[in-house]
This record gives sequence, structure tokens and C-alpha cells, in this order.
Amino acid sequence: MGGDGGEGKTSMKLLKIKDRQMWIFFVLPGTILLVLVLAFPAFQSILYSIYPEGGGSSYSLNNYSILFSDSVFRQVFGNTVLFVILSVASHLLLGLGVALILNRDIFAKPLFRLIALLPWVVPDVVVGIIWRWMFDPVYGAFNDLLIKVGLISTHVQWLSNPKLALLSVIFVNLWRGFPFVMLILLAGLQSIPKVLYEAGAIDGASRWQLFARITLPSLKKMLVVALALDIVWEVRRFGLIQAMTQGGPGNITEVLSTYIYKQYFQFFRFEYASAVAVVMTVALLMVSLPYIWMISQEE
Amino acid sequence: MIKGSKGKFFSGIEIYGFLILVSVYALLPFIWMLSTSLKTEAEAFRVPPTWIPIKSTLDAYVSMWTKKHFGIYFLNSTVISLATAVLSTFFGALAGYGFSRFVFKGRKFLIGFFLATQMLPGVLLVGPYFKILSKFGLYDTRTGLIIAFLTICLPFSTWMMKGFIDRVPDALDQAALVDGCSRLGVFFRVILPISAPGMVATIIFAFLLAWGDLLWVICLTSTESMVTVTLGIARTVGEFQIMWPMLMAGALMGGMPAIILYLLLQRLLVQGLTAGAVKE
Repeated sequence: MGGDGGEGKTSMKLLKIKDRQMWIFFVLPGTILLVLVLAFPAFQSILYSIYPEGGGSSYSLNNYSILFSDSVFRQVFGNTVLFVILSVASHLLLGLGVALILNRDIFAKPLFRLIALLPWVVPDVVVGIIWRWMFDPVYGAFNDLLIKVGLISTHVQWLSNPKLALLSVIFVNLWRGFPFVMLILLAGLQSIPKVLYEAGAIDGASRWQLFARITLPSLKKMLVVALALDIVWEVRRFGLIQAMTQGGPGNITEVLSTYIYKQYFQFFRFEYASAVAVVMTVALLMVSLPYIWMISQEE
Repeated sequence: MIKGSKGKFFSGIEIYGFLILVSVYALLPFIWMLSTSLKTEAEAFRVPPTWIPIKSTLDAYVSMWTKKHFGIYFLNSTVISLATAVLSTFFGALAGYGFSRFVFKGRKFLIGFFLATQMLPGVLLVGPYFKILSKFGLYDTRTGLIIAFLTICLPFSTWMMKGFIDRVPDALDQAALVDGCSRLGVFFRVILPISAPGMVATIIFAFLLAWGDLLWVICLTSTESMVTVTLGIARTVGEFQIMWPMLMAGALMGGMPAIILYLLLQRLLVQGLTAGAVKE
């Protein structure tokens, strides 16, 4: 490469420098779009959250002090934390279990994988609707099955009993979410070289040792990705709960998403709703910041 | 893994037993949905419930199209999701290429910015969107929804496309540049054709993200002519008496495109989702 004359060299250099600047052309459109459609409205939301409720002119943190002393907000926040932790933990357990099995040489593997993937594929609104009907105390399939199997003897009110409602919703979310974790971990498992296991086996390692020393460390990155994405998705989960319980009975299954939606579009408390949304976003970013940091440093 | 190695945790029977249990867990709700959608209104309310309809009928499906404007919902969902998917994949491919091939000041920061925007919850944005779209006369329009869906899809599309483009060796770009091709030429004539499968996967993933959304549609539309499949399904829940066979027929038809697309492109989607996590 490179011309032989002095002039040719400079123009080649110029061309290279020009080419190095081309990143602007590629990255800028998407960045501008994101600033317009995301950063700008997000900023506006922060502004709303410091407006006084019901009009007025002075900015204040009043909405935030209202919400932190609001017992309903605290309950909803607690619900969300419980919903996310139990959902993600159960996704991980079942997802890892199924992935480990599907990574073996078993009969009809593609069929089992396909079946296990189905719940994650349909929109979460559809999931919510199906399970709401499954859970119908009298006409639903769930009670009927459990009675036939002998696990329960009377019709259980899965979604209207205050003690059960949130757990029932989490149970449905387990159904909905474990395939994603399974899928990611299965991809991770399949990329582990078989040689490692063979070497381990020659060295006389037990199955458990192979799992703890080879499988888990190799899966680390996939686990982080699956966990981070899952946490973010479950914190934001809306359609499933909206379709199944709309937050009821009372506020038993209310999570931040459904709560904010109600404050905005049913009670029209824009300033208060914005404050809740800002708190939710800060919490979400705090949880996902280590992940963002890790990925962007590696790149 | 090694077959027949000593010290196995579980026997074959236990493993297949577990798999069958998981399969039943995964499948039963779908079977229940299908079964209910084929029932008459009266049979849906039988005690104890029947798993195989005594009298199968397609009435519920027909009513969904004739009494509930399901055709409009379906059309809205398709148009909005498709436009979103194509736009976000195009801009995502541009940005993905930029991140993949160029080293520049602030690159890490920008990547972090793209990732962070992927984390923002929709509920933070729906309020301002409601006001902004109303101001520009875009509230309750498909265009408004497409703009809103870009917020969900663009960060994801960028990330996926970057992952796919990373797999294309940089040597190809260099060769084309030496041959006198411009950067744009490289992008459009070399990179895009080679990563066509990746683009298809990204388009489909973005399509499904938009297709499955409820939050934005519920907040940014008000008239029957703008209702999407998910909203059409969710709205019936508030009705005084729920027509379960119809609702299940709607749910099944609303879920079908997603099921078909995923099954066709399973492998590519996994590649896209895990892009960046598995590096050769």
C-alpha cells in the first residue's frame, strides 16, 4: 500500500484520516435518534417529577417526599423487589437444570428444546390471559388438575386470595421466563470444549468436580448476561400482570410498572407518577450499572 | 458430556421423568388455550372442565374476526411492528458497524450509553411521550407508536447487529477499500449482504419486541381503529362477562406469528442474543 511519490503519500494519509472519521457517519444517526426518542423524554420526566402537583411554578422535591411517605408506594416497591428476586432466582434454577439436561445426549433433544422454548415465545399479555383462565377457581384447568392428582381437595382462589395472588403471579412468570435463561445457558454449555471434560475425567474428577471446576466457570459470562437481561425485563414486566390481575386484589400484585401506569392514565397524577418512575429508573440503573460497565470496558 | 462415566447424579429414568414433567408444565397452558378456543360458550363454563371439547367449533375464531375487529388489530400490529423492525435494524446496522470497525474517542462511553438506554423502563417515558405526541398530532396514530417502539428496539438492534458484524472479518473491508470501494460501499455492498442472516434475525427480534408490547399501545392510543392485537386481548379482561373461547382464540392467533417466527429462526436468534457474550 501507499503511493511512491510524496504527493501520493499525503493524499493516501489524508484518505486514511478521513476514513477514520467515518465512524461519525455510522454512529451518529442512531445516537441522535436515541437522544431524541429516549434521552430527551427521560429528561422531561425528571422535570415533571420536580413540578408541584396540580400546578404552580416553583420546583421542589415535594413529590419525592410524598412518595417516600406513601405506604402504598412502599408496598408496591416491596412487591416489585419480591417479584423480581423470586422470578429471576427460579428462572435460573429451572433454566440451568433444563439446560444441563438438554446438553446431554438424550433422545428427541430438539423436540424437548422446542417445547421448553414455547412459553417465552408468546407475548406476555397472552401468557397473562391464558393463566388467568387456567387459574379460574371454578371453570379453570389448574384446580381441576390438582384435584384429580390429589394435591388439593377444594377449589383454590389463586388470584383473589391475598396470601396467594403474588405467588401465583410469580409462578406464572417462572413459566414464562425460564426458557430464556435455558436458551442462553444452553448456548454457553455447547461452547465448552469437550476436551476439558475428557481431561478432567482422565484426572479422575467426579461429576460434581467437573461441574464446579469446568462447567460453572465457563458459564460465568453467559450467567451474567442472562441474569442482567432477566432482571431488567422482570423489573419492567407490565403486560403479564396487567392482563392477569391489574395489580389486584387491592395492591397485592401491584408492581412499579402497573402502579405508575395507573397514576398516569387513571388518576392523571403526572408529577407524582414521574417521581415514581424516576425512582424506579435509578434503582434499575443501579442494578444494571455493573453489567453495563463490564460490557463497555470489554469492548 | 461423557456417556457412562462413573458417579452420575441421576439415572436415565429420572432425567426423562424430569424432562417430561417440564414439558407438561410448558405445554398444558397451550393445550388449554387451544381446547377452550374450540369450545362453545356453554361448554367453557362446564364443571368439571373438559380437556377435549365435546363439540368442537370454530365459532370463537369467526366471532373474533366479525364481532371484534380482529382484522384491524392484526393489521395494526403488523404494520407498526414491521416498520419499527426495519427502521431500527437499519439504524442499528449502521451504528453496529461503526462500533465494530472504528476506534475513536468516546467509543466506550457511547457503547455504555446504548446499553444504558436499553435498561430504561418504558414507564419513565410514556408520560412525556403522551404530551409530546399530542402536541405534534401524533397521539393515537401508527406513526406515533412506531416512534415509541424505536425506543425499545433500537438499542437491542444495534447490539445484535454489532455482534453479527463482529463475526465478519475486517480483512474483507480492507480488501474492498484497497480496491477503491468507499466506506459506504463497503457497508452496503460487502457487510450488509454477508450479514443478511443476522439482519433477518434482528428484524424478527425487533418485530417480536414491538408485537408483544402492551404498555405503549395502552398509553398512546385511544380509538378502536388503532388497537393492536395485544391491546385487543388485554382490553377484554375488563369486560363484564369474559367470552373465554373468543379470548383464547384471539390469544392463540396473537401468539401464532411469534411462535412461527421463533421456531424458524431459533438458532440465529440465540446467536444474536448472546452476541458479545461468546467470543471466539
